[in-house]
Amino acid sequence: MSKLQIITKGILKENPTFVLVLGMCPTLGVTSSAINGMGMGVATMAVLIMSNMVISLIKNLIPDKVRIPAFIVVIASFVTIIEMLMQAYVPSLYAALGVFIPLIVVNCVILGRAEAFASKNGVFDSALDGIGIGLGFTLSLTVIGAVREVLGAGSIFGYTFAEGVMPLLFILAPGGFFVLGYLMVLFNKIAKR
Amino acid sequence: MKSSLKNMVLVLFTITAISALLVALVQNMTKEAIENANIQAKNIAKFKVLNTSEDEAVVTSDTTRLIGDFAITVSTVKRLADDTTIGYAVEAPSITKSGYADRITLMVGFAEEDGKCMVQGVEVLSQKETPGLGANMTKAGNSLERSIVGKDASMVEFSVSKEGGSFDALTGSTISSRAYANAIETAYAGYLWATHRLDTSEEAVEDAPSGASMTYDINELETEKGEGDHE
Amino acid sequence: MNLLIADNISSEVLQGFATGEVSVQVITLFAIIVGAIFVNNVVLSQFLGICPFLGVSSKVDTSIGMGMAVTFVMALATLVTWCIQHYILVPFGIEYMQTITFILVIAALVQMVEIVLKKVSPALYQALGIFLPLITTNCAVLGIAIITIQKDFDLLTGVIYAVSIALGFALAMILFAGIRERLEVEDTPAGMRGVPIALITAGLLAMAFMGFANVVPLP
Repeated sequence: MSKLQIITKGILKENPTFVLVLGMCPTLGVTSSAINGMGMGVATMAVLIMSNMVISLIKNLIPDKVRIPAFIVVIASFVTIIEMLMQAYVPSLYAALGVFIPLIVVNCVILGRAEAFASKNGVFDSALDGIGIGLGFTLSLTVIGAVREVLGAGSIFGYTFAEGVMPLLFILAPGGFFVLGYLMVLFNKIAKR
Repeated sequence: MKSSLKNMVLVLFTITAISALLVALVQNMTKEAIENANIQAKNIAKFKVLNTSEDEAVVTSDTTRLIGDFAITVSTVKRLADDTTIGYAVEAPSITKSGYADRITLMVGFAEEDGKCMVQGVEVLSQKETPGLGANMTKAGNSLERSIVGKDASMVEFSVSKEGGSFDALTGSTISSRAYANAIETAYAGYLWATHRLDTSEEAVEDAPSGASMTYDINELETEKGEGDHE
Repeated sequence: MNLLIADNISSEVLQGFATGEVSVQVITLFAIIVGAIFVNNVVLSQFLGICPFLGVSSKVDTSIGMGMAVTFVMALATLVTWCIQHYILVPFGIEYMQTITFILVIAALVQMVEIVLKKVSPALYQALGIFLPLITTNCAVLGIAIITIQKDFDLLTGVIYAVSIALGFALAMILFAGIRERLEVEDTPAGMRGVPIALITAGLLAMAFMGFANVVPLP
């Protein structure tokens, strides 16, 4: 597989949201607006790239049976460290992304990639996989967020064009399920071509 | 790698130990910077709610009142140029009402104008409400902010409009909006307390209106459902 | 001093300033239980634990098993993490280690449940298969452990809360599995089969659960 393919497959062929169906909780939980979806996507991508690299580095030292707990510890410490560093040195960015960071620990995309890719491939490829999957995740979340924001709040990226007339349902929990479901149908249709 | 009890325990322990050490190290390294960043953020909010900035004004004194586990801090903000008081920035949590997820903490700016106590501005310091619903209180120019900024605090009813109050609730977020109103109320009380004008005698407490609105009657239930209320 | 009669400040807030204490609203156990199962259903309104919800819910039997496993793990996890938080993390001032310790404890617990299940009920073990390790990353377990700490519940209330949440999870899952079993035999459009129709069904279920909002006063 070429280096470029590793990146692009994360966006279409192995899109984490629409194809792998991983990381549904943050996907549904934060996508009430486009900007929130994007924030979560970017934060996840940062953690994913780094955890993929570290796990690919230490993969040969870990006995099979304790693989998952070991990966989880690595991911959890990463997330905690990133959270503290951001809070200390880039407080403005932390204010925007802060709420999503603890949620990343339990995002199965990260563990899923550690298991499926990083534990079998080299450091560089794992980093590329992190970028690809991260981009795919960010794109999907932004699209879902944008659709929900337009349908539910009548605004896009915070720019309001129809206040108070759109059905609030799309911002609420059911709307999340509906939008994700229909977008998945659409995505499968497009991706199959 | 093959698993044996020995290497499983050893590896897991080593990884955990290294991780914990790293986390502890970073925590130590960033502790001060995080505290400074938080103080800085609060300071900026103090000036912002009084429509001024660091260049023109200075915080001259902080008075803190503890109520249970909650702290209400009243800061006096003075103009640098002529040392006159611009107003008071009050940091207050919603002490008697929680939001949908947690208490809400606001920074509220008060200034005296012709014997009136005008609310100059509001900044949300912390909230954990649902994104897209209650969390909209952090957006500039939201309905809650519009209902209080520029108003005389002594004339405001601290509840949402459908309960006869002065606050236009955020769409679908009555509980968050109630907590917001409660935090403003606490801030106002804190401001009066700090300027020694709050009557906390027994009669005053007894005469005061009850702020409890957690009683649900049938009519309210129906209207709330009709509006598709979530929070 | 001219005392202002601030007649728009409520007696509760005034009381707070008078005594320095604020009367904490007592939440009844009933409200906690009903709230956790129906109003704030963990899957349908808090978006936690979606992966097993979608993954293991194609049959009622397996979803009952999964529901039980999660209930058990969640109760145990909350019990243990509560003790760790209050007897280790807080006294030593290392609350920032919360995420790491909690997730490790949960991982260990899940491993234990897996071993026990393998011995006691091999059939159920077969059925749940790969999803047991996934309880580890079932965000619901970690999420609820952390929420219990945030909500400042005492140990008993915390465990009751966790069990109610887990029952809500099981309820949503069993209902959902029932619907999906019927869907299997229906003529679903090709593009909608599988996850998409499941998501839309979940959306409808979430809408139904919204009807529970305002049934009990929330904390």
